[in-house]
Amino acid sequence: MNRNILISLSGILVLVWLSGCATTQQTGPKPYKMSAQGMVVWEDEYEFAPPPLEWKLLVPEEGGDISFGFMRSDPGGFPSTSVFAYDEEPFGCSPGFEGREKEFFKRFLFNAIVKFEILGKENVKVVGGEGIAVTVEGKDPVKKEKVKAKVVFGKRGERVVGWYVTQWRPMEGAYDLSAFEAFDKFWKSFTFLKKSFYETL
Amino acid sequence: MEGHQRNLYLYDRFNARVLGVSRDDVITLKYWAKGLDLTFPLLSNVTSFLGTYFQIQPEGRPIFGRRTVVIDKNGVIRYVRDGSPDFKDLLLFLKKLNQEGGQK
Repeated sequence: MNRNILISLSGILVLVWLSGCATTQQTGPKPYKMSAQGMVVWEDEYEFAPPPLEWKLLVPEEGGDISFGFMRSDPGGFPSTSVFAYDEEPFGCSPGFEGREKEFFKRFLFNAIVKFEILGKENVKVVGGEGIAVTVEGKDPVKKEKVKAKVVFGKRGERVVGWYVTQWRPMEGAYDLSAFEAFDKFWKSFTFLKKSFYETL
Repeated sequence: MEGHQRNLYLYDRFNARVLGVSRDDVITLKYWAKGLDLTFPLLSNVTSFLGTYFQIQPEGRPIFGRRTVVIDKNGVIRYVRDGSPDFKDLLLFLKKLNQEGGQK
């Protein structure tokens, strides 16, 4: 066969180590600007409605799991926090939503070691196309913590992209639905301003 | 590895095939591939001769360093990058290499 061969040599243990971190610290020029219509224009690539002021910008360090997101510290004991984010390369490989969902939840919040229960799944319209939204809850009976999350899968060209919100609480804590409302506004307002790198190949 | 799996349709478009090589045994690689839903071949090289050949076998360590290598259809190494794959750089290179091949 007249094909070029690509070889990826790796120490497999290293791959796990590479999962990334994120920070709210900002250095250098801002990656976003505001449009005349009051929308956030992110690196001239995405546009979305700004979150409420209490949400702090969250940007990944190199090799991070998300493209960017927002974080809010919630009242109540540890680990009361809410985060929502856009992810250009969500966990998994499948180009279809059903397969990707299964792959994604094998790795999502992997370090927390929680078992997810699916609370709901629905078809949605996102960035002008078909998508699915999956709401899950995970509990850690050892640490006495729980997390509720909603993940939206959509398409950018041929590839699956994702938006998700997570809200951690002590086991007896109550979830604050305002975070999920802010997240819904985020992904529902999201648009791509140009073709992705992969669409230009 | 997951990134390579996501890019398989693009590798195919550019007439490229991907192989993963590590020093892990076959059973470990089978579980690894299953866990990450990988469909491309992973090669087990427990004796490390490929690591020595590609100069990514750290002395005294039982794993390879990370390196991405592109070999063209004539068997010539055309691309070498260390560390985590830069997928965009790699895809642009494969596109260019495929275009070169189409012109010859």
